[in-house]
Amino acid sequence: MNDILNIKYEKHILENGLEVVLYQDKSLPIVSVNLWYKVGSANETNGKTGFAHLFEHMMFQGSMNVPKEKHFKFIEEAGGNLNGSTSFDGTNYYETVPANSLELALWLESDRMGFLLEALTQDKLDNQKDVVMNERRQRYDNQPYGLSWEIIFSNLFPENHPYHWPTIGWMKDIEKFELNDVRSFFKTYYSPNNASLVIGGDIEYASTLELVKKYFDEIPTGEPIPKISIPKAELTENKKIIHQDNVQLSKLYLTWETAKLYDTDDATLDVLSDILTGSKNGRLFKSLVFDKQIAQDISTFQYSANLTGMFIVIATAKPGVDLEVLKTEILLELKKVMDDGITEKELKRSINTVKSSFIYTLQNLNSIVNQINNYNTNLGEPNSLNYDLGRFQKLNSKEIKDVANKYLSNNFVELQIVPKENNNEN
Amino acid sequence: MKTERNSPPQTNGTIEFHLPKFNNFVLDNGLEVFFVQKNNLPLVQLNMLVNAGSKFDPINKSGLAYLTSLLIDEGAGEFNSLQLDDEFESLGSIFGVSTDNDNIHLSLLTLKENLSRSLELFSLVYQSPNFTEHDFIREQKKLASTIIQHQDDPSYIATSNFDNIIFDGTNYKNPIIGNVGDVNSISNYDITEFYKKHFTPLNTKLVVVGNIELKELNVLLNKHFNSTNRNKIEEQNDIIPITQKQQFYFIHKENAAQSEIRIGHLSDKRNETDYFAKVIANSILGGQFSSRLNLNLREDKGFTYGINSAFSYSKNAGHFEIATSVNGKDTGEAIAEINKEITGLKSEIKKDEIEFTKSYLVKRFPAMFETYSQIAHHLSTMLKYKLSEDYFDNYIEKIIACSMDEIEKIAKEKIISDELIYLIVGEREMVLPQLKKITDLKIVELDVNGKVINQ
Repeated sequence: MNDILNIKYEKHILENGLEVVLYQDKSLPIVSVNLWYKVGSANETNGKTGFAHLFEHMMFQGSMNVPKEKHFKFIEEAGGNLNGSTSFDGTNYYETVPANSLELALWLESDRMGFLLEALTQDKLDNQKDVVMNERRQRYDNQPYGLSWEIIFSNLFPENHPYHWPTIGWMKDIEKFELNDVRSFFKTYYSPNNASLVIGGDIEYASTLELVKKYFDEIPTGEPIPKISIPKAELTENKKIIHQDNVQLSKLYLTWETAKLYDTDDATLDVLSDILTGSKNGRLFKSLVFDKQIAQDISTFQYSANLTGMFIVIATAKPGVDLEVLKTEILLELKKVMDDGITEKELKRSINTVKSSFIYTLQNLNSIVNQINNYNTNLGEPNSLNYDLGRFQKLNSKEIKDVANKYLSNNFVELQIVPKENNNEN
Repeated sequence: MKTERNSPPQTNGTIEFHLPKFNNFVLDNGLEVFFVQKNNLPLVQLNMLVNAGSKFDPINKSGLAYLTSLLIDEGAGEFNSLQLDDEFESLGSIFGVSTDNDNIHLSLLTLKENLSRSLELFSLVYQSPNFTEHDFIREQKKLASTIIQHQDDPSYIATSNFDNIIFDGTNYKNPIIGNVGDVNSISNYDITEFYKKHFTPLNTKLVVVGNIELKELNVLLNKHFNSTNRNKIEEQNDIIPITQKQQFYFIHKENAAQSEIRIGHLSDKRNETDYFAKVIANSILGGQFSSRLNLNLREDKGFTYGINSAFSYSKNAGHFEIATSVNGKDTGEAIAEINKEITGLKSEIKKDEIEFTKSYLVKRFPAMFETYSQIAHHLSTMLKYKLSEDYFDNYIEKIIACSMDEIEKIAKEKIISDELIYLIVGEREMVLPQLKKITDLKIVELDVNGKVINQ
């Protein structure tokens, strides 16, 4: 079984520092290109939040040899699909195209890596600022409970912490960005030595490497990337925030700072989360939603990133149920895990779910290529599916209990999102 | 030597793609099975379509099909709800239930090694659900709260009210999840009766895509699916689009950060004659990123994060719809621009736009058959709309064959400006004055449940 998780690949590092991973899979005549820049919202500073994401938008506005609107058009005309995404720690760009259009994808990616600024205009920036402000309105401001994440981040982490603000950024910052911000961000972070390129699918190794060299070799190395400084700060007491929103049901969020991505405790916390809410038999689900019926829904996550992680419990109260009642029940169930641990059966169920999900991921080329790039970027080893799965398979039940005690007895941030007072109409 | 970058590189070689072939067979009890063997991974995907969607909800019992779908896997055979879930989870198999207007879908994704046990559990859910009163009361209350939660979501308010208006007088009018009052009036008896009537072999089709031989699959399925109920429900009548009058509707949402906009009208149900011409005409208008609507409202004006349009289909009906959400202060201007693009499409479609769209649709074809669930989805689509068995064999040819005349005719005749229904959900004080500037028609104001409040 674990044999199919063993990814065969070639890895090369170009003279300019660009890491290139090639992965052959000939099951369909398609190719996925995934370019990961090691820059995200954590590289921003207060007053300039949301810029990594806005910059991602600017990367689709054309470059020296690609007119505005044509980046999307070239890929769509070739029958491909494309997108980008920005997180705390990284920004990635990806397209899946028919195998005979690989060169087109490399031409487009290299043109914007090497020659973006030549095509930069004030109009493009103004336009994408409007688009991103509307993205913020649509995905956060106009969503019920939409501001929860940014309220949690900004209370869990101190003001000078790189995760203090949301990736989309504060509206007042997005409004202010200027062309010079684009130029300096590009020069600082968008260099080949700060990127990892993975190409997977119906390819030949030698000719693909030749193509990569043709388009990327002449892009010059950039300056070393500025280091991020992380203030060491722990919550000195529990924090409680009450936020009124246009909603009818109240929601409770409890958040603890935990372990970072691929830390030894990271997978353990994932399993803890699954045991709490991963299924109907999850401890919290069974108690609050199924038996006592005081919660409409409940979920938990171990959300881990490069610098740190957090464990989050989210529960929606049934109409008429007080959030304090929810909180008491949640803490009671967590205490049971901390005192008495979990059963072997619970652990086994959770591990089996993880194992299957690894195999399911292999169905989609874009997902697997993105995962390979995640491994290459964060672990330095593209072939890490078995290592990753092994992190889960080697766990024992005592480790789950220990990790609950290690983190969930610390101070936490409590956010309550409650209906607006005197809110008689919708 | 510097790399030549002035123009895009040409394609390299041709693409060879073999469409997955399907077989069909009938189980001893009459249940029809459509099967594609796919061996690149040790997986099996099942999609079951039961002719039991929300269009069968009786009057005043909206939500009945959906609530049935929520209860169907709350215990079956000797297992109660939690035990059944535990059985699936321990196998790492993903079992899911979903409901649309036409069907309840049961789906399963499993490792080949766990197929037999997973199928056994799947068949219990399908043939022997417990439907206890205790589970019913819990899920009914939960659904009532879900509906309340949805009413806080501007996008849901817009979509559900838009459907409510354009499908008025038909059984596609109500939201799939139902209305609170209706859901509260449903009894567990209603659920079991609905189940008995609909969940029979002759009302069900099964799609399987997996790493298994046909013979082995046939034996396994016959072993587990053995209900002999011969009930078959009658097909519903198709909804023939009637001429409607252009009309504006508005729903106030306190402190809305954006305006949700829906514009459209009823259209014909899906057929194989003008389907592709519609796809092409619509792609040019708003069906892809590089569409006229998106390039104008997003990439030029910056009014929105995105806009799209579609001819959408249910089994017995079709409709055309443009959907977006825009900054409140731009609402009027955004609608004016949308109107302009509709008029523009009717007056001129360029040859290169058609070529671009055909190229996009034809060349992405192989990637439509990548995952087990994608293939199962396409087979399910074929079954749902009763498309001919060679539908995908002729897919590319049919796209290429669409003529400029056919596509122009769609734009002129199937998008009807005079019949467009406009629905806006936003902040009253900011939006209403803008709407009054772009239309002389009376603007009908509704509450979130679609009740007229300004007459």
